[in-house]
Amino acid sequence: MNDPSWNEPISGESRSAATDDIDLDRVWVNVAAEVWRRHPGRLERTAARLLRSPGLARALFTTPSLLLPWLIASAVVLAVGALTQVGAGQPLVWLIAPAVAAVGIAYSYGPGLDPAWELSCSMPVSDRLVLLTRGVAVFAVNAVLGLIASIATLATHAAQPTITAQLTFAWLLPMTAACALALAVAVAVRSAIAGAGAGVGAWLTLVLAHSATDYGATDGAGGVLSAAALTSAITDANLYLPYLAVAVCCAVIVLFATRPQRGLL
Amino acid sequence: MNIELTDVTRTFGRNKAVDGVSLAVGPGVFGLLGPNGAGKTSLLRMLATVLPPSSGTVRLLDKDPGRPAARTQIRRRLGYLPQNLGYYPSFTVAEFVEYFALLKEMPAHQVPKAVAAAVEQVDLGPRAKARLRTLSGGMLRRVGIAQAIVNGPDLLLLDEPTAGLDPEQRVAFRTLIRDLGQRATVVVSTHLVEDVGTACSEVALMAEGKVVFRGTPDELTAQGEGHEIGDSPLERGYGAVLAASRKQVAA
Repeated sequence: MNDPSWNEPISGESRSAATDDIDLDRVWVNVAAEVWRRHPGRLERTAARLLRSPGLARALFTTPSLLLPWLIASAVVLAVGALTQVGAGQPLVWLIAPAVAAVGIAYSYGPGLDPAWELSCSMPVSDRLVLLTRGVAVFAVNAVLGLIASIATLATHAAQPTITAQLTFAWLLPMTAACALALAVAVAVRSAIAGAGAGVGAWLTLVLAHSATDYGATDGAGGVLSAAALTSAITDANLYLPYLAVAVCCAVIVLFATRPQRGLL
Repeated sequence: MNIELTDVTRTFGRNKAVDGVSLAVGPGVFGLLGPNGAGKTSLLRMLATVLPPSSGTVRLLDKDPGRPAARTQIRRRLGYLPQNLGYYPSFTVAEFVEYFALLKEMPAHQVPKAVAAAVEQVDLGPRAKARLRTLSGGMLRRVGIAQAIVNGPDLLLLDEPTAGLDPEQRVAFRTLIRDLGQRATVVVSTHLVEDVGTACSEVALMAEGKVVFRGTPDELTAQGEGHEIGDSPLERGYGAVLAASRKQVAA
């Protein structure tokens, strides 16, 4: 600060010359860019690196069913399921986990749900890729929440290793089928509500059908269905192939419905 | 030519929304006028590569949007404001514009400055950190315009951009699109004839899915000589062309 000119009064002429040299709009835009800059969290930065696309990562983190209220609701539902299972011995985690995940999947993307869907369709980041990334993310989050809830209930079934294994892992395949169905219907009908309804409805139908079939296997306590019997029926290894077939068929429907349009456009 | 349409048709069931439209549009501000249901929005959605045409050929920015790789390239250079702009209520203005800058695959290091410039251009600087749910309809429209121009598009498609803007904002908007039209093709679909008169270098009038007039605003005005319906000369021209078109359809 030894420059004497700093202490000299600035005349009107020299002030005008100074502002002529500086593009104040440009300066302000640079300042505003720094002030308004959003700093992505660690998870988003990691996703951007993994997906090789900051846009896709940002789209992933704006998934309606990955937003905090959804995550809290899913965790609460599965926690209540786990607590009920610990208290009453009813296998609620595997019963509700596929339905919770199916709703989340259906509510991850689509017209009428994603407010910016129309705009997203005109973006270079493929809407199909956004859909699939969000679907996988919602499925993974719900699978982790479900596994945690299952592990939390291990104590109640420690004496029955078969049931424990089924409770912890066997619902993953039915969950995949329910989620794939929810996604396929949501994409084909372009309605999240229809997708959620299809996923939950199909899962409930399956549970109720097995309940009716296996009703003979009650534990005799006021007609309460045996947890073991229902669990075994729905997570029967013989059903793995049909579950897988449903999941694959639904995945094909999703891929077909979201295919990049060739030919005319 | 940034837009080349040849005999483009779009049908929804039995309804022909766009019926054999052929257009070639270069840089400048191009106005798309027409009554409700004329096919303006369907045409704009096809130009935005959101909707495929049922028949005909579309070329945008000298590329064929039918090819996925070319379509991606087109979309990087495209700005689009849909008629119904969806928004995330919890996003701030800057976050919303940034989101679409990222989806447009702008280089990440350029995004903050581009966002700031776009927000300033629509005069929303003081509200940059405001949540979208707190903004008025006119402000939301300006947010939509900001996301459309954030990537400095070569093809800018605006569907009813002045809906909800007050007169002062509309004047500022017209100045903005005139500036953008110096180097890009700006297509403005609107009901407001005065927007076209002051901002557009060329205009097309659509009715029943067809382009029934194409020319300069002055030429459209000239069509209105002797026509009595309309408050301004341009409105009278608009009315005269539409009336002639309806008469032709009836005949």
